[in-house]
Amino acid sequence: MPEFFTSIGTLLDGSFLQAGALWALRTIPGFPPIIQTVHILGIAIVMGTVVMLDLRILGLAVPSQKISEMTKRVMPWLWWALASNFISGSFFLLGRPNRYFNNPIFGWKLSFLIPAILLTLFFHLMSKQQDGYWESNSKRLWTARGIALVSLGLWIMVAMAGRWIAYVEYIYYPA
Amino acid sequence: MQILTAPFWIDIENWPISWEIGGTSWFPFLESIHVLTAALVVGSILMVDLRLLGLAAKRYSVTTLSKELVPWSIGAFVIATITGLGMFITRAASHVVNPAFQWKMALLLLAGINMMYFHFRVYNQVERWNSTASTPTQVKIIGGLSLFLWSGVMLAGRWVGHII
Repeated sequence: MPEFFTSIGTLLDGSFLQAGALWALRTIPGFPPIIQTVHILGIAIVMGTVVMLDLRILGLAVPSQKISEMTKRVMPWLWWALASNFISGSFFLLGRPNRYFNNPIFGWKLSFLIPAILLTLFFHLMSKQQDGYWESNSKRLWTARGIALVSLGLWIMVAMAGRWIAYVEYIYYPA
Repeated sequence: MQILTAPFWIDIENWPISWEIGGTSWFPFLESIHVLTAALVVGSILMVDLRLLGLAAKRYSVTTLSKELVPWSIGAFVIATITGLGMFITRAASHVVNPAFQWKMALLLLAGINMMYFHFRVYNQVERWNSTASTPTQVKIIGGLSLFLWSGVMLAGRWVGHII
């Protein structure tokens, strides 16, 4: 793991942020599974919005929905879900910062998540420029398909990596 | 319930395939597919439920949305069930007596009954409110209940790992 990355963990370890997160996780009854469920519900919204949109653009799902209309309709749900997941995730991140910032799978998760967000943001912003931007000519439609394919892969890997954070030793310390 | 403590569940844990899954990367692999497909089940059902509640996708008819989304829910559910069974057999005896697991199964059953009720008792009158943004109260209750029950399935499912 790069040093700048692990040093974030060192910085957060022992801070008041960690104290607050640990207090919530340890004191509120059922808080860990509840907050994890909120996090997974956020992933469900990622699945129902951007993943479905990607599948639509690739011609695999919801054929009656128009790309531009669907983008406009589902994107707000996605951004709210991501904001919610940022908060729900940070309880665990701040609670045990070194566990995450020394975990290569967490590094993988971020290296999927950041491009996934940027790509989706780019797609959303371009579609705001003009109604039906991605469907206006075949060059743009093919670009949209390329973006959708990459985006689909990235979002799925974000969720997969998230689950594997707890199993890091399965990959890095094979039995 | 005596059946929950029967030796049968231990026998399942001792199947060679249970040992194979439980002792290798198969377990986290199945678990991540389970989470992914469970999220897809809920994500696709959520879109239909929000439409039933009259909260989203109002421009689409209920039948169009159902026709295009429910097959995804069912497909994802099948994969989630297979991967779930794969994990279940590694700790069958502990799971059947785990209150979180019992809740999960009960909530799944209720979610299933809710869906069946909608499909067989309500859906045949769909033409009356198919294209209207606002739906009858009964339909709203079913949509809300579905959201509630599926979130409960997720919560109970996540809780299983905290008890085992």
